[in-house]
Amino acid sequence: MIADALGALKWGDWSLISLYISLISGIVVGIHYSPAEPFYSASALDILVPYGGFFRSLHFYSSQFFFLFGVAHYWAVFNKAQNITSRAYLYLILCFPCMLMLLFTGYVLRADATGYSAGMIAEHILEAVPLIGSGLNNTLFSISTHGMDRVYLHHVISFDLLFLFLAWDHLRRYRVFLTNHLLFISALLLFSLVVAAPMDPDQLGMLYITGPWFFLGLQELLRYISPFIAGILVPISLLVALIFLRKEQRYFRPLLVFICSWLALYLILTLLALTSHG
Amino acid sequence: MLWPLFRFLFHKVPRKPRIVEVSGTLQNDTVLTKQDFLIFKEHEQLWAVSRNCTHLGCRINYIEKENHLECPCHQSRFSIQGKVLRGPADKALPRYAVEPTESPSTYLVTIS
Ligand code: FES
Repeated sequence: MIADALGALKWGDWSLISLYISLISGIVVGIHYSPAEPFYSASALDILVPYGGFFRSLHFYSSQFFFLFGVAHYWAVFNKAQNITSRAYLYLILCFPCMLMLLFTGYVLRADATGYSAGMIAEHILEAVPLIGSGLNNTLFSISTHGMDRVYLHHVISFDLLFLFLAWDHLRRYRVFLTNHLLFISALLLFSLVVAAPMDPDQLGMLYITGPWFFLGLQELLRYISPFIAGILVPISLLVALIFLRKEQRYFRPLLVFICSWLALYLILTLLALTSHG
Repeated sequence: MLWPLFRFLFHKVPRKPRIVEVSGTLQNDTVLTKQDFLIFKEHEQLWAVSRNCTHLGCRINYIEKENHLECPCHQSRFSIQGKVLRGPADKALPRYAVEPTESPSTYLVTIS
């Protein structure tokens, strides 16, 4: 019953509207953001620029909702999605890592304690990939040598284009009109007005940094196993399982079990990260 | 077309060693915290250690109470000389040479 009611909600519409708002507010905050002075310009938005805090918050939360509602949408329409071709399905699943990279680079660009650490960790994970690691890092992050240049480029252009490319066919078919969602939009605006986006300035003697919320489980796992396994193979295993998760598949059940256990484990790691080292 | 692209992307321009001038006052048994390194002075000896954790690169901090360095990401610990005291990091922190200058509150740190 509850599942039916939740399934009937317009997750996809909300996700798309959040994306629109995220894109527009992204341009707005981008006007005062400078990749050469990442932390200064990001905190100046909060402190110095009139309504800067509001727009940063709007950009932050609309982006989070874009991803979260996207996931809810996938879950709600999973049965219907069985009719689309494997290629279309693959493209849509690949949207998720792309969205996560958009969120992740956004965190890093803030360059506060959380963002900086998350960026450095990502850089080291990429470097740990055999053979192509340093090329990958040089192309994607390379913060220690190039500051925020690469991250900025990919946040504002590359991953957005990739997302549009992957989701194009899907978005073309489903039109969403802003005027039908005025309530949702007002709620989001109000929320951003009241709740500030996080910012953790570097403090001397800081003992524990928690990364972006979706990165916490990974950060915890990196404590125990090598960066290549924890940072690359483990996430890719989930992605591959999702790509093949189709009802006509012979391995549908085992894949479903794998995905659920993966997520459960990730949740446990996240809770551990939040509770056991503070 | 692929080979040139491959070579291009995989090329790393080496960093030049930097000499950084820092200001601040250091007495014996004190520490000066900068963004990328910490400078220590003990028994008239001066040295700097990098603040980039050798595990995954987070910025480590000096914990005054225990007189050691600790990384906020996975709590690796290092001695003030840069040696690993507790994992997950397994490599020592790079050390840099520090030289005093004529002015008592200015030092030159060579980052290699
Ligand atoms: S990055 Fe320092 S302990 Fe992991």
